[in-house]
Amino acid sequence: MKEGQPTVLPGFGLTLGFTTFFLSAVVLLPLAALVLLAASTPLHQLLDTVASPRALASYRLSFGGALLAACINLVFGFIIAWTLARYEFPARRLMDAMIDMPFALPTAVSGIALTAVFSANGWLGRYLAEIGIHVAYTRFGVILAMTLIGMPFAVRTVQPALLEVQRDLEDAAQTLGAGRFYVFRRVVVPAVLPAILTGFTLAFARALGEYGSVIFISGNLPMKTEITPLLIVIHLEEFDYRGAAALGFVMLAASFVILLAINLLQAWGRERLVRRSA
Amino acid sequence: MAGGAHSGALEELDSRPGRDTIVNALVRRGLIGLSVAFLAALLLAPLAVIFVSAFQSGVQAYLRSFADPDTQAAIRLTLVTAAVVVPVNTVFGLAAAWAIAKFEFRGKSLLITLIDLPIAVSPVISGMLFVLLFGMRGWFGAWLAANGISLVFAIPGIMIATLFVTFPYVARELIPLMQQLGNDEEEAAITLGAGGWMTFFRVTLPKIRWGLLYGVILCNARAMGEFGAVSVVSGHIRGLTNTMPLAIEALYNDYDFTGAFAVASLLTLLAVLTLVLKSLVERTGYRRR
Amino acid sequence: MSITLDQLTKRYQGVPVVNDVSLEIGDGEFFVLLGPSGSGKSTLLRAIAGLSGLDHGRIALHGRDVTHVSARRRGVGLVFQNYALFRHMTVAENIEFALRVRRMRAAERRQRRQELLRLVALEGLDERLPGQLSGGQQQRVAVARALAHKPEVLLLDEPFGALDAKIREGLRRTIREVQRELGITTILVTHDQEEAFAMADRIGVMNFGRLLETGSPQNLYTHPATRFVATFLGAANLLLARQGIDDTRWGAWPTAPHGAGMPREREVVAVVRPEEIEVARSREALLSASYLGHGIVEEVVFNGALERARIRLDEAPDAPILAHASGDGGVLLEATRAQFEQRAFAITPGQSVTVGVRRAHILPTPLSSFTICAPNSSAAERLAGNPFLLDLSTRMKTRIRRYVEPMLGGSMPIRATPASLPGTTVIAAAGDVTSEAKWLLEHGVEEILILPEHASAPQRVLIHWTEDSARKATLAMSASVLRHLAAEAIYVDVLPEETLAPERSSGIRALLDARSEARASHGLEIRTEMRFGVAAQALEQRLDESPGQMLIVGIADTSQLAGEFGSLLAKPRWPVLLVHREREAPAHSRSAA
Repeated sequence: MKEGQPTVLPGFGLTLGFTTFFLSAVVLLPLAALVLLAASTPLHQLLDTVASPRALASYRLSFGGALLAACINLVFGFIIAWTLARYEFPARRLMDAMIDMPFALPTAVSGIALTAVFSANGWLGRYLAEIGIHVAYTRFGVILAMTLIGMPFAVRTVQPALLEVQRDLEDAAQTLGAGRFYVFRRVVVPAVLPAILTGFTLAFARALGEYGSVIFISGNLPMKTEITPLLIVIHLEEFDYRGAAALGFVMLAASFVILLAINLLQAWGRERLVRRSA
Repeated sequence: MAGGAHSGALEELDSRPGRDTIVNALVRRGLIGLSVAFLAALLLAPLAVIFVSAFQSGVQAYLRSFADPDTQAAIRLTLVTAAVVVPVNTVFGLAAAWAIAKFEFRGKSLLITLIDLPIAVSPVISGMLFVLLFGMRGWFGAWLAANGISLVFAIPGIMIATLFVTFPYVARELIPLMQQLGNDEEEAAITLGAGGWMTFFRVTLPKIRWGLLYGVILCNARAMGEFGAVSVVSGHIRGLTNTMPLAIEALYNDYDFTGAFAVASLLTLLAVLTLVLKSLVERTGYRRR
Repeated sequence: MSITLDQLTKRYQGVPVVNDVSLEIGDGEFFVLLGPSGSGKSTLLRAIAGLSGLDHGRIALHGRDVTHVSARRRGVGLVFQNYALFRHMTVAENIEFALRVRRMRAAERRQRRQELLRLVALEGLDERLPGQLSGGQQQRVAVARALAHKPEVLLLDEPFGALDAKIREGLRRTIREVQRELGITTILVTHDQEEAFAMADRIGVMNFGRLLETGSPQNLYTHPATRFVATFLGAANLLLARQGIDDTRWGAWPTAPHGAGMPREREVVAVVRPEEIEVARSREALLSASYLGHGIVEEVVFNGALERARIRLDEAPDAPILAHASGDGGVLLEATRAQFEQRAFAITPGQSVTVGVRRAHILPTPLSSFTICAPNSSAAERLAGNPFLLDLSTRMKTRIRRYVEPMLGGSMPIRATPASLPGTTVIAAAGDVTSEAKWLLEHGVEEILILPEHASAPQRVLIHWTEDSARKATLAMSASVLRHLAAEAIYVDVLPEETLAPERSSGIRALLDARSEARASHGLEIRTEMRFGVAAQALEQRLDESPGQMLIVGIADTSQLAGEFGSLLAKPRWPVLLVHREREAPAHSRSAA
């Protein structure tokens, strides 16, 4: 759109009106209901729900687990993105296409499948059980499911950044006398750092709110392997709408903070290449 | 990324003098090995286990799972939901993209943030929002009950919840695409005398078709596979308000593993189909920003 | 010698991308590698930098053999086309990168950085990020960065490609000054001949991976040795001429028979630069030029300092003909005239004018055109569609004529010679090749190209001559052809089986002599091989080893066609170029090699 020119194209009123209506009905209204319900609840009742030991335990698991899963994805996501971007090997294309699978697969399906694989007599679970590691129905299982669900984000943000680091930059660094590790440390990583962090944050956000793939493998033991979304569902089933809304509000607030962080990160990434603050 | 240029650059890299080939080979193998192991454990094994478990009691048992009326109802519900939700969201996506990409107005960023919202929010919360609105104790609960309309714990509720979680997908594909493609062609069409609808169908739609298809594919995959939001809203009434993912949960909790994995296998095939379609669209040259 | 390249070859999927390049560059010299895209010049530069390996050859920098030394340790500075600046580092950090790697202390680094910034006129921009600089500034930073570690050699890979004209000129001057001040040996790669002229001490022109010619800009422009260099370095009219013992004349090949006693003429290609064409009212009005012909002005384009005119010469028996393609309807000449010429005689489209030539340069290459010779017109048609022939003639910008000779290969005694066949004769590899070839050679043809039905551009060319007297001509023809093919060249010498040791070593010496002559006299780099046995059989064996080959063979005596070579020619599997020169050279004078 050129500045200051009157709109030539038609449809402004129609499309904007429809969009606004749709969003209001589908997004704003429900959100308002949530916020109002939470706001109209007396504070002590709110705190009872939101700060109860069970809720706190679920926060520890949801937030802590998501953080850990995002860290794992940080490392492996980078490794996988590097492998896909730099090496040729048979089935590379297949591997590349498979990365999106957790994104396309329904969460309930991944949930029961992961449980089947990692339960005590599952394909991989049995070997782990032999060395004393139990995955299913423990916190490990929760973190595992969270890792799976966040993996595509970690890989798909880093992959294009790696490809974009022009070959030339590494070639230039080599002609200037740098060894491969030096080049990696000083040239490649700084260039893809924003993408890595964005991937981390996206994976974290996704893992935080995950429900379907986690509840099958977690076992849902209160205070032990209960994630916050499940706690919300339990409040709803007990018709404790206020409690559910309060918890939901906490999670929403967390989501907003994360969204903000992502936007800031992306802006920072762009700014690094344009202006440095002294 | 063109395979040819990629391998040409790799070949040059391999031919360079002074490469420490042993270290390089080790690093290469190590990284590839790690990646494959990670993905095999997390992706391949689960995928395989679905089909193995589905067929572990034999093909007959597998097929019999689909004869169950509750399962059939679930499949029907999922299909119908998708058939309603996807077109509505497509229309929304097109409208939103047109408004955002072609015009300047205040509040545009707010609009975009609102569109992105469902993706950032936990599905459970998404479902809960509608329970808060339309549930028994919700805002409209009393009014709905008085008029005999049930939304929550009934099929309409499921559709609304699914609508909420999937509506961003088409819009998020189209908005950057249309912004990138610009307005020149549409403006040219207008000056040549075409009306709004004609411009849209003849000029814009062909330009954005691959992005549109991409968004629709993703929207559909999510619509058919949504679990958390639908679980909250549905009421889990077998044969009535269970979608396929919910049916999987029900069968699983009943220890009917063959049944659960049988339904899961269908959804897995859908996921595979989704990925295949995605890569086909990408091969036409459409690249996600 | 500062940089020595010796027979560098790099193949990509079988095709040589850098093809036997040998070059020596002196200390402090500014050398420009010029060529079209795909000519291998960038690959060559990257090989010198160590970013690309080689299949064959040696590189020496300041006497040090660096062929197997990694890019890190070669001590070169490379400036990339897209600058390749580290975008997350400031200008200062970019420039100091090489020094940081070498663990130089901060204070020393800063001093060097200031020096370099002054050198490229970017003082004060230390703390900027590349994203904040203009294209020209970024390129200067790239140059400063490449020079930080005091490399022995500076390499620039099309550094001005992404910039616009005014900036380019300024940058050219800066780089030239920097280079002179530092006295650093420099190679610049470009496809822009104006840039090459402006900056180079010497230019090397590359095409199809081969280094065709090297020389000063002035020399290459006024005395090109090859068609390609002539047309690449500037506009050129390529005309066919007939060169006799005493003089050179324009005009089509005579159709009148050559009786014995008439002096033998050779068809040659002459380069006439547009600025050497004079346009006048009439023949008498021609000031400094020799007469070329009359014609009509077709187009006049004003271009500031110059005027570009296109003039179509009338068809006449003694009018010149274009060297390339099939020009129907008279020759279209390009002429450029300076302002004073325009003032002296203004021209407009449609005007009838006389054209003269001030200076024409005869190319020393022997291959001037192709003439198809077939026993009937349908055979001639088929031959005219041969893919290799079409490919070659397009690349070499030569014309193809057709000539139907029913008597081809017949055993009738020679009564009257038919119209002599100018240029290189082309015959099909079907039929009785040996007798057809013999017939042609006896009628005065000197080169015959024998083409199989489905010939295509070869990847390897084998060269052989049966006697020393044919050597010069064979090498000249080979050089001419090889300049336009992406193919390896191998000279194969065949000694009899029973050759004893001392003769073997003289055979090896002969190989080396052949190689140096090819290089010195014809600018052609060839490999050499020695085989034992019967010549034709050994060659046939070598040719059978892989597909995509071609044979160029020189003979001194038509009798050699019979016997061994006869069977070689009778198998139409590869294109064969037959070169024939008489043993003695009576009354023949060829200034063309």
